[in-house]
Amino acid sequence: MISRFQYFKPHNLSDAVQYLEKEDNSYVLAGGTDLMILLRRNLINAEHIVDIKAIPELSALEYSNSTGLTIGAGVVVNRLVDSEIVKTNYPALQQAAASLASFQLRNRATAVGNICNASPGADLPPSLLVYDALVNITGPHGDRQVPVDQFFTGVKRTVLQRGELVVSLQLPEPGEGDRSIYLRQTRLRGHDLATVGVASRIKPNGKVAIGICAVAPTPLRLFALEDKINERGLNKETIDWAGEEINAHIRPISDVRSSALYRLQMASVLLKRGLLNLIGEEE
Amino acid sequence: MEEKKYRSKYKHVGQPYDRKDAQEKVTGQAIYAYDLEFPGMLHARCLLSPYARARIVSIDTSAAKALPGVRAVLTGEDSDILVGLYMQDKRVLSKGETRYHGDVVAAVAAEDEETAEHAVSLIKVEYEPLVPVHDVDEALEGKTLVHEDINDLKHYVGVFFPQKDSNIASWNKSKKGDLETAFSESDLVVENEFSLPAVAHVPMETHVAIVQADPYSNKLKIWTSAQSPFAIRQIMADSFGISETDVEVHIPYVGGGFGGKAGIHLEPLATLLSKAAGGAPVKVRATREQEFNQLPTRAGMRGRIKTSVNNDGTITGMQATYDWDSGAYADYGVNVGKTAVYSGIGPYRVENASIDSKTIYTNKVFSTAYRGFGHLETHWTIERQIDILSQKLGIDPYEFRMKNLLEPGDKTMSGEVLTVSSGSPKDCLTAVVKEIGWTGRKSEEEREEEWKTGKVRGKGFAMLQKAPAMPANTATSVIMQMNGDGHVKMMIGAVDFGQGAITALAQIAAQELDIPIEHIEISAEIDTRANPYDWNTVASKLIFLGGNAVIKASHEMLRKMKDVAGQALRTDPENLLHANGEIYHRHDPTRRLTYKDVALGYMYPNGTGIGGPLIASGSSMADGLTNLHPETGQGNPAAVWTFGAHAVEIEVDVETGNVTVLKVASAFDIGQVINEKLVYGQICGGVLQGLGSAVLEGYKFNSDVQLMNPSFTDNKIPTMKDIPLEIVPIYIENPQHNGPYGARGVGEHPMISVPSAIGNAVYDALGINFHVLPLSPEALVLGIQSGKKSILCTDVDCLPGLH
Amino acid sequence: MDKDCSMYIEHVESGKRKVTLSLTVNDRLVVRDVDPQMTLLHFLRDELKLFGTKEACGEGECGACTVIMNGKAVTSCIILAIEAEGAQITTVEGLAKDGKLSILQEEFVSQDALQCGFCTPGFLMSTRALLDSNADPSDEEIIETLSGNLCRCTGYIPILNAVKRTIERERKELGR
Repeated sequence: MISRFQYFKPHNLSDAVQYLEKEDNSYVLAGGTDLMILLRRNLINAEHIVDIKAIPELSALEYSNSTGLTIGAGVVVNRLVDSEIVKTNYPALQQAAASLASFQLRNRATAVGNICNASPGADLPPSLLVYDALVNITGPHGDRQVPVDQFFTGVKRTVLQRGELVVSLQLPEPGEGDRSIYLRQTRLRGHDLATVGVASRIKPNGKVAIGICAVAPTPLRLFALEDKINERGLNKETIDWAGEEINAHIRPISDVRSSALYRLQMASVLLKRGLLNLIGEEE
Repeated sequence: MEEKKYRSKYKHVGQPYDRKDAQEKVTGQAIYAYDLEFPGMLHARCLLSPYARARIVSIDTSAAKALPGVRAVLTGEDSDILVGLYMQDKRVLSKGETRYHGDVVAAVAAEDEETAEHAVSLIKVEYEPLVPVHDVDEALEGKTLVHEDINDLKHYVGVFFPQKDSNIASWNKSKKGDLETAFSESDLVVENEFSLPAVAHVPMETHVAIVQADPYSNKLKIWTSAQSPFAIRQIMADSFGISETDVEVHIPYVGGGFGGKAGIHLEPLATLLSKAAGGAPVKVRATREQEFNQLPTRAGMRGRIKTSVNNDGTITGMQATYDWDSGAYADYGVNVGKTAVYSGIGPYRVENASIDSKTIYTNKVFSTAYRGFGHLETHWTIERQIDILSQKLGIDPYEFRMKNLLEPGDKTMSGEVLTVSSGSPKDCLTAVVKEIGWTGRKSEEEREEEWKTGKVRGKGFAMLQKAPAMPANTATSVIMQMNGDGHVKMMIGAVDFGQGAITALAQIAAQELDIPIEHIEISAEIDTRANPYDWNTVASKLIFLGGNAVIKASHEMLRKMKDVAGQALRTDPENLLHANGEIYHRHDPTRRLTYKDVALGYMYPNGTGIGGPLIASGSSMADGLTNLHPETGQGNPAAVWTFGAHAVEIEVDVETGNVTVLKVASAFDIGQVINEKLVYGQICGGVLQGLGSAVLEGYKFNSDVQLMNPSFTDNKIPTMKDIPLEIVPIYIENPQHNGPYGARGVGEHPMISVPSAIGNAVYDALGINFHVLPLSPEALVLGIQSGKKSILCTDVDCLPGLH
Repeated sequence: MDKDCSMYIEHVESGKRKVTLSLTVNDRLVVRDVDPQMTLLHFLRDELKLFGTKEACGEGECGACTVIMNGKAVTSCIILAIEAEGAQITTVEGLAKDGKLSILQEEFVSQDALQCGFCTPGFLMSTRALLDSNADPSDEEIIETLSGNLCRCTGYIPILNAVKRTIERERKELGR
């Protein structure tokens, strides 16, 4: 690491925002599991590190019937894994959290960090997408709320502007009978980035939602595919059809982790398996 | 939990003792080269070539040199020293041309790692990129030579055969019988090609070397994470033109090696930096990325094999061509190539055979020894070929192998005659086939039925053999000294980097001397000034050669003790026996002395002493080995063969390609178990490494021959989630007549042929013959989707049917 | 800006910016001035000379540098030392008490759960953190937790056996 940075650990949000706005080359440090790699590989030149872990409101993991689930920017992934509330109400999110990286890294990595890093293959976004999560952002010009499907703008790029900071994620309350599942393919059973990850959800009204990662520059919510599935009505035949159709809605690349062709195949398999599981017709 | 069932007939040999180094390793006290610090020590960082092949136009190191805290900056202009184990083909620092993406272009020594790293970032290099040699085919065309000076390279003459004006670092050959007739007169001739990529050793401790070059003499002090202290000493002396006595090599605990730390690696660079920094100790530590892209790897290999058989299942002829992609330098790669010519037809009786093995330069990461070197690769070729032959003949693969496996009286490829004490391949195969419940291959109908469930099971097995791949004059030695308390201090020159050498050798000494294992003092730490010579800690040779040396030293120790005791007890030493740390008269056991009584010399009641401190030594040399004939490969290369077999049962998810390994049964004819716990560890660890090569691991290069996966992010090794559901070790004990207690080595063998067994099981499951590794989920799915029954390449581009 | 809210004091010492850090390591309070850039791993090794904690990748991928920080197993190579301000840290050197190996260490020895030993401290710390939070984990939970630690030597099976025996013995001997 050859960055020489100043370390700042504010105790309230406004100090954090003020600092981030004022100083060039400022980076937010939460879990550090991505940031420290960038620093170590000298991929960024950080002059200021703002550690947000001492800001009290960011450590909140709360659920209420009116506001749903709030995940503060300091909440580490293993808290989602261990949370009965998340497991009961947002199973896909809990499964995605449990599949992310390794046990030690999940003790540090934060859910919000996973979206702010904006990796195309990040594990949490597909589940956040199917739950219509909102990203609560604060910044020098006040607070704003961005739906998670509009948060990502490209590989490693988000809507965040200078001085802005994600405060929390908010997932609306699911209704009675809501079901979801996250499935991913990896190169080995042990910790690995997802070759493809698919979150599938059936809402209480019977409509499906599908989120997917590692098949495009950003994680995607497949709205058009969902519409077609919902039009046809969810059953085994539709699911078989959707397994084929999904390939028209994604544009994976070939890289060192997988060929595009295998990603297409896995998107198809994981979608089918997920939906079949949700309608109780496991293969 | 599995109860260990092994029972030994000996008091110490065969007992499952705890390893001697265990306590230090669980308390954080074990110190590795990585941990070492010395007063005034500097830290190094290297600038690596960003191109696989480029001309260095200019280097500007002025800004780096000006950085406070920097003590030395070196480029290829500063030294022309060449190093190499068998071929002196590697510059310590590149000059003129870089030969792989990982060649060291410049190096910095500074007061701390960060400063060194910062200084490296300030070095400006102008390169002219050149078209690299991508693969063995391009290399064999020879339009571009990786080493323009190949004709002049100093090498080990008579053992390795570099070809003039080519990219062939060594072309080794063997042949016997009349292959032409065999091919023309046999019922069936089958020709196939198999290949596998380069794979990294991945020791958890990366390569680390610290060197202090005495500014007032030629003396070099080296502390290094290495397997071969005496080879380092000899090569350093040779390359730097100094005497071996000038070079002292210290090996503390070593955090894994697997062959990757055999020979010499970072020591020469650390030496040059120390000299440039006025003699300060300089530590060069590879980052994990450098471990992947700078330090050597296992060579990729392509094997072409043609086999003739008769309808009764008799193999009549075998012709194999092995092309090793050794990357930029030969290192151990030429020796890997050499092993293929005497082991490259497997443990089979084949009257007519020929093998051509070429170690080839390309512009990839260079290659070296890796656990069982050459054998995982050649067995991937042979054991898949044997399976395919049995398919074509319609003979059960077990029966087919049993018909052709070596037996006493048969000759190996190089013409050695096996005896009853050589171990039994058949016993190994029979044991694993029984353990796995083999009842024959799946029928097409059974397969189709299973396919409907989405998961298909398959069983497969494969043979393996390996003898230590070592020069005919390989030797090792042991020094023993009795301490004042009757305990025995034992020093060896081989390195215990986790394989359990010091514990196993201590058990043999305890057995011979009949004292508790705790009374044997032996350290994993090696210092070439004190420890006796050992050639290299490689090749699973240590139990065999080192064990025999321990026995010899023990006998000398007992003889000397009895000489002194004979005087003290006023009897002929011939009348003395020993047991439980005591020497006693065979007819009058009341006349006895303890070892302690004679340890430092016996003292009479009046104070007079006789004898003196007891010291003994034992040397052991490979016996009766010869170099191989350069054209026919005939000769005696193998001190001791260890045969073995794996059988596996797997389940394939046909949609995702995920393979679950349900069971692995592994049998090795190791002659005699020295320590069941240690052998079990070698088997579990070796099988999992083999599984990594089978289903997961492999270097990926882009079209510019840059390594695309130089990190744990994309160069994965198996984790605890990836272990087989069950591993059953089977120890076959047909004793080796000249092995210590009949024992043979088994450190490397568990890794060999795991990919072959998995590949054969994949055929049983899917009815598809894969010819390329790894059998990754993606490879299996693309193979299935291609609709082909033989898959030679699993890149999408090779499977046009899929587009 | 309210500078007092930041818990560190930065000062310049022989040309380098330093921060003062205090934390508890293996039950001992330590106070040191460190570079803000220093990782927790380097702090433990370079400042405290606790060499049991190893770096094998430097990127949190292999678990060799695992220590217990406030009860959680974490990879110390990608944590800044300054992030550990006020923390309770346990390293491999803190496992044996009163000159006696812990049951966990004894079982690693007796099950031969190590070969080269370089990854061993990391495995011990991951296991300790797991068993401290769950005295009777299932095989799946053990494997899930320990799969963040890479070992190239043992094939993991002896490690798994050692952990399972530790659980049994801790239940019997410590009443966990």
